Amino acid sequence: MNEIQRLELRIAKFLRIGVIVAGLLMLAGFVLNFQLRGNPFFNFETYDRIPLADLLAHHWAHRRWGQLVSYAGLGALISLPLIRVLLTAVLFLRQRDYLMAILAGLVLAGLAVSFTLGFEL
Amino acid sequence: MYASLLFLISICAGFLGALLGIGGGIIVVPALTILFGVNIRYAIAASLISIIATSSGAAASFLRDHLTNLRLAVLLELGTVAGAMVGFLISSQISTAWLYITFGGFLLFSGVMMLRRKGDAVSTVDHPWSERLRLAGQFMNEKGQLIQYKVERVPLGLFMMFFAGVLSALLGIGSGIFKVLAMDGAMKIPMKISSATSNFMIGVTATASAGAFLLRGDIRPEVTCPVSLGIIVGSWIGARVMPRLPAQTIKKVFVVMLTVVAFQMLYRGFTHE
Repeated sequence: MNEIQRLELRIAKFLRIGVIVAGLLMLAGFVLNFQLRGNPFFNFETYDRIPLADLLAHHWAHRRWGQLVSYAGLGALISLPLIRVLLTAVLFLRQRDYLMAILAGLVLAGLAVSFTLGFEL
Repeated sequence: MYASLLFLISICAGFLGALLGIGGGIIVVPALTILFGVNIRYAIAASLISIIATSSGAAASFLRDHLTNLRLAVLLELGTVAGAMVGFLISSQISTAWLYITFGGFLLFSGVMMLRRKGDAVSTVDHPWSERLRLAGQFMNEKGQLIQYKVERVPLGLFMMFFAGVLSALLGIGSGIFKVLAMDGAMKIPMKISSATSNFMIGVTATASAGAFLLRGDIRPEVTCPVSLGIIVGSWIGARVMPRLPAQTIKKVFVVMLTVVAFQMLYRGFTHE
């Protein structure tokens, strides 16, 4: 097995473990949020744009651990492809394939820019 | 109770998704809106998260099997990420009615695409960009033969990926159908490689808009967690029982269901105030 294949396997292992960790956090949040009665989706029939920072501050103030743990899981899951692209860039750098490393870097920069679109200006 | 029901439906969505080679978004978004009355904007955001979960898991397997063309994926991700940014901006401006109509249209198109015969052409011509970036590759087919392939029309593929990214962010889908269409149809890459590379890229495409949706507050755990967990479980089961089930028959039944749901979504769009 060459170095690329070893690194590819390392990325594969990282993705697998990452999905499990994020899934467990979301499962914990799901169980903590679980309610037997009432319709939890009633509040989502109409769309209210409330920024994440406000939502987190609200849940923190009311000690809603289920929500906070769920958001941790969601954050972990979203960060997986980001780290995957970063690892890919590292893989190309180690191969001294600078053109591909630049392309992977551009994808990473694109992802970072796309995240900022979520902030209300 | 409702959350449990959504969890069970999401297991079915993940199961069918794995069985038919489609993303769960096609099932989850209509289920959330039509069955649970969830606003389509929350449904789209929840669907994107479930796509990242399944794609990351699938990407791990494809990398291990050496079917993913990593170099090609990185190049094409430039197109999908740029498209996802544009898609997110469009989704901020577009009305809910138009979201329903676009989604209905997409479901009809997906139905047609699912019935299409898949070609498996292997190109012998390398585009200059492909030569420069060394995108050509090789893989072992079912008969144990080593198949070498080259990559045609790279700019066209990149352009098609941009639209796949726009639709992914706009509708909360993986756009796997469009990605495979670009790679298999335009760039003449063998289907096995196209599917694996598309699955590998879907997570990055979805992340480009999911991160923005999360920061804007559209991703809500009450909706997203049961959906994502259900899809992870369902796709895991689906991948294991896939060889034992008559996928072609299920696909035909599913296309009929898809058409009915498409018209329901279109109806909602045209009657939405």
